[in-house]
Amino acid sequence: MSEDFRAPSRLKSRIYSALLERQRNDGPLLSLSEVKARGKRLCVFEELVQIAPLGETAKQPNFCRVCHARILAENIENAPIYWPGCPYVQFQNR
Amino acid sequence: MSSVPLSARESGRSVDDDVALVAAVLQRDRKATAEFVNAYTDAVYSFIRCRLSPRRDLVDDLVQEVFIAAWENLSSFRGVSPLRAWLLGIARHKVEDYYRRLLQSAQPLEPGVAEELPADEIDLEAIADRERTEQRARQVLEELPEHYSVALQWRYWEKRSTRRMAEATGRSEKGIERLLARAREQFRRRWLA
Repeated sequence: MSEDFRAPSRLKSRIYSALLERQRNDGPLLSLSEVKARGKRLCVFEELVQIAPLGETAKQPNFCRVCHARILAENIENAPIYWPGCPYVQFQNR
Repeated sequence: MSSVPLSARESGRSVDDDVALVAAVLQRDRKATAEFVNAYTDAVYSFIRCRLSPRRDLVDDLVQEVFIAAWENLSSFRGVSPLRAWLLGIARHKVEDYYRRLLQSAQPLEPGVAEELPADEIDLEAIADRERTEQRARQVLEELPEHYSVALQWRYWEKRSTRRMAEATGRSEKGIERLLARAREQFRRRWLA
């Protein structure tokens, strides 16, 4: 009863999406500028938002919610997405 | 039951790392949340999948429930034990909830059934401890009706007493013993087949 299984990437993706939605419902997410200041890597889309001349509030939404990578990752095991900094890429069992 | 081995992503994490990760997740840092999911889903998934066998169709939902419950209670994590152990504690509760619901809904056996069954010819606890027979035990459990499989796993792998099982399911201790006797008999037959 101690076998070591790897969780499907689809499951990790769905859990991540569900947690972000919960977090978003509880309050604003940490802004992308603050995330980057902590040394975390942003994906290309987040990077564009982060460098845009916008207020911090505009950099708080969960941009993954409207991203095709999320849809692919939640529905296809090891989906063909390769954006550096995308959380859904790091969930893949490649 | 032996613990689930550490995944590569978990190994090397200290409790201090866990506390820092939890603090970042609580601040709604999306990348920290991704790290949290990536680091610990394999362990929770392994833990639950082993215990829900053969109901693999339920595993994903239960794993997700563990993480949602973890988020809702994350502020209570103090770093007294590793985050992995804390999460597996939640997973254990979820699994026991599933066992309890399933046995509550199982048809009770008539008195006398257990007395009619032959004496146990297999030491189930010894089987559970032997690595080389685990695979066979799992196969046999997967062939059993679900309520028998759950009863045996709860009693012999999770080491729950019949009294505790009875309390959790609202059934009598005698009823649980009868269920276990029937389950052991079914297990024995399939094991020897």
